[in-house]
Amino acid sequence: MMKKIIFGLAIAATTLAACNSNSNKSTESQNRSKDTQAKSQTDNATITTSSVADAKNTISIKEIVSTYLQLKNALTRDNTTDAATAGTTLEAAFKNFDKTALTAAQKKTFEDVEDDAREHAEHIGKNGGNIVHQREHFVILSNDIYDLVKTFGGGQVLYKVFCPMYNNGKGAFWISETKEIKNPYLGKAMPTCGEIKEELK
Amino acid sequence: MSFTKKLLLAIGIAFIAIQFVQPAHNKSDHALSTDILKIVNIPDSVNAILKNSCYDCHSNNTVYPWYSNIQPMGWLMANHIKQGKEALNFSEFGSYSPRRQLSKLNAIANSIRDDIMPLSSYKLMHKNAHLSTNKKTIFINWAQQSKDSLSGIN
Repeated sequence: MMKKIIFGLAIAATTLAACNSNSNKSTESQNRSKDTQAKSQTDNATITTSSVADAKNTISIKEIVSTYLQLKNALTRDNTTDAATAGTTLEAAFKNFDKTALTAAQKKTFEDVEDDAREHAEHIGKNGGNIVHQREHFVILSNDIYDLVKTFGGGQVLYKVFCPMYNNGKGAFWISETKEIKNPYLGKAMPTCGEIKEELK
Repeated sequence: MSFTKKLLLAIGIAFIAIQFVQPAHNKSDHALSTDILKIVNIPDSVNAILKNSCYDCHSNNTVYPWYSNIQPMGWLMANHIKQGKEALNFSEFGSYSPRRQLSKLNAIANSIRDDIMPLSSYKLMHKNAHLSTNKKTIFINWAQQSKDSLSGIN
């Protein structure tokens, strides 16, 4: 009995060790097979109903902006969980954006913004529960979104709002869909800090 | 054999068995054109800090300590290095978009200021990775200056 246990332990340890070196590969192939599965499921769905895959490929700048605004509004409410969800959605929106319709110059601007903004969106998504850190990333993300809107338009009237108090008096701006000031950096503690600096049409 | 003896033997066998699984080393001989050295100016004082406190996990070249050859230490390190390089790789800094480079320099300065980096577990094993207040100031100022010079070009 005891021998069996020990033998089993040794085998388990060896297998575990052997698996470790292959673990990256195997999870990769697992993911890939999951992707293929998901894909064939969507393909089946496409036949009967409208396509999910197509919808994914037609993410517009307007949708990116509206997801950003959801994130912004979650932060104004001090809601770190909603902010994280919106961050993850925003990362996916950047990833699924269809760049084929862009001119070479537009593509360059978009990719420059995308490379940076995706990472900030991802961090915000992963830091549910740490709103201070989410807000730090939101500063640079807002800068990215501003440049995106400046280049491509936001699909709606937007405002650049600046709050001089945040970050020990260094200040930071955000993009808002309303003239009413609701501060995403200070949240409920100081909701009305902010001044409209620019109207983006 | 008593139970304890058998257990020890089993652990011993397992320990020997795992030694045969060595993770690949993070070593690259040729300097890439994307290395941060080629992108921004790095004074000697900053270069020393980068080498002693950052590059083991944030570049394509790790200086391995002796215990990295003993498992599972080597596995843990390989995992740390993988994560570190994903977040920031100084050897591939030039492949980031101009905007992301600025963003990274910002994050570098913040993580040093807030003592998030170097990781305390890393400092425990690498005494010379610890940054004095003076070194931190030098490093943060360098990150700031690099940011300014890069944004001037872009």
